Amino acid sequence: MNSNVLMRIGRLFILLLTQVLVFNHIHLFGYITPLVIGYMVVCFHRNTSRVEVLIWAFAIGLLFDMFSNTAGMAAASCTLIAMIQPVLLNRMAPRDSEDDLIPSFKTLGFWNYTFYVLLLMLILHGCFYLLDALTLVDWPLTLLSIGGGAIFSTLIIICIELIIRAPKDPEHHS
Amino acid sequence: MRALIDLIIHNKHWFVFLLLEVISLVFLFSGNGYQKNVYFTTANDVVGTTYNVISGITSYIHLQEVNQELEMTNEQLRKEVYLMRQQMEAMQRDSLKRMPALPQQYDLVNAQVVNMTLHKTNNLITINKGEADGIRPEMGVICSRGVVGIVYMTSRHYSIVMPLLNVNSKISCRLRTSEFFGSLVWQRGYANIAYVTSVPRHAPVKKKEIVETNGYSDIFPPGLPIGVVQEIGDSPDGMSYFLKVKLFANFTTLREVSVITNYSAPERRMLEEMAADPTKQDSVLINQEKDLEKKIETTETTINTDSVR
Repeated sequence: MNSNVLMRIGRLFILLLTQVLVFNHIHLFGYITPLVIGYMVVCFHRNTSRVEVLIWAFAIGLLFDMFSNTAGMAAASCTLIAMIQPVLLNRMAPRDSEDDLIPSFKTLGFWNYTFYVLLLMLILHGCFYLLDALTLVDWPLTLLSIGGGAIFSTLIIICIELIIRAPKDPEHHS
Repeated sequence: MRALIDLIIHNKHWFVFLLLEVISLVFLFSGNGYQKNVYFTTANDVVGTTYNVISGITSYIHLQEVNQELEMTNEQLRKEVYLMRQQMEAMQRDSLKRMPALPQQYDLVNAQVVNMTLHKTNNLITINKGEADGIRPEMGVICSRGVVGIVYMTSRHYSIVMPLLNVNSKISCRLRTSEFFGSLVWQRGYANIAYVTSVPRHAPVKKKEIVETNGYSDIFPPGLPIGVVQEIGDSPDGMSYFLKVKLFANFTTLREVSVITNYSAPERRMLEEMAADPTKQDSVLINQEKDLEKKIETTETTINTDSVR
């Protein structure tokens, strides 16, 4: 239990720092900025208490907001995907999988996992940029930011997953 | 009753969700409570200090560019000094010639940019000087090339600046040669392009004309360069020009800025407030009277002490 909390705190700070120091400065084509903090929510295993997921998501969102002057925007978006994540994970998980299934390529399958991440990222970026713009005046730009950001973040998260989980694979195969 | 409690416990995540969303949205929409907001933005001391450390490390990357810019400014200043010296000599030779009114001196506080966004709808810049250095909201911010923006909120050691690159920013400006005025606004997209609206149709506008501050507001003194006209277009209603302006300030490499700290005149602002809202007049007048009384008292006491001595 305690090691779980410590791991989450570690993950929160690493994600927050990389987001604030690296990803916040990436503006692909001038409008695509990935919100990798969503990976915090993506990682929660099945049957985590839903309240717990919500509070962790809100925390990372609020901390991100403090660092990037976006009072409340990321907090609201992260809380929204935290509400959706357990339902989506239940839908995507194979029928005969274990109860505390950790979402990854191995447990969900490559395409299912990619779809799961992409959907969460789309909702996260959608909520974030709509709250940012608050109008639909320049909707093509907002739409591009949402779609581009979601795809870019998904790619980054896939890379992170591949790097983190790669060393474990050979052991399992052997 | 029991059923109700069961229902609440069973659906507690919905209540937590709604609560957290409401909290987030309150933060988002309480844009007017600037001081409240300080705790949730980079004007916060902890976040500001973090950014200060990071910017101390990353500023080395941009040193070359900053150096070049400094050299350019130096050269320009040297030229100006030379010109001024010539003018001074010319004036000393003919002492009968009346001196033109000297421009008012402005106090500048130099600060470093510690955090900045460029690609949002509401971009903001955090600088590492605050109230302790005499910075207050609504002071003008400039860099070596031109106008940067206006101070938006302050904490003790940090301030947040609303740059020209913010859809809420609106700065009154004029064309340098013809002195027709308009207002400078920004639209989301490019970090070096802004637009001047409400320049009348009969104004002679040319490309490459310089846009500068007009001194109507008490934030910037007149004549500070903002940008140069790149394209001339019409406003949607056809009543005025809609000029595309390339900004002089290079926001992508901005590190050093200066805040103009003593330009805004409280007396002028008071007068304007009074004119706008006649109900305030009485209270303002009373305040003025009180101030006067205080001054008289203090002068009297100083006179008394002097005479005692």
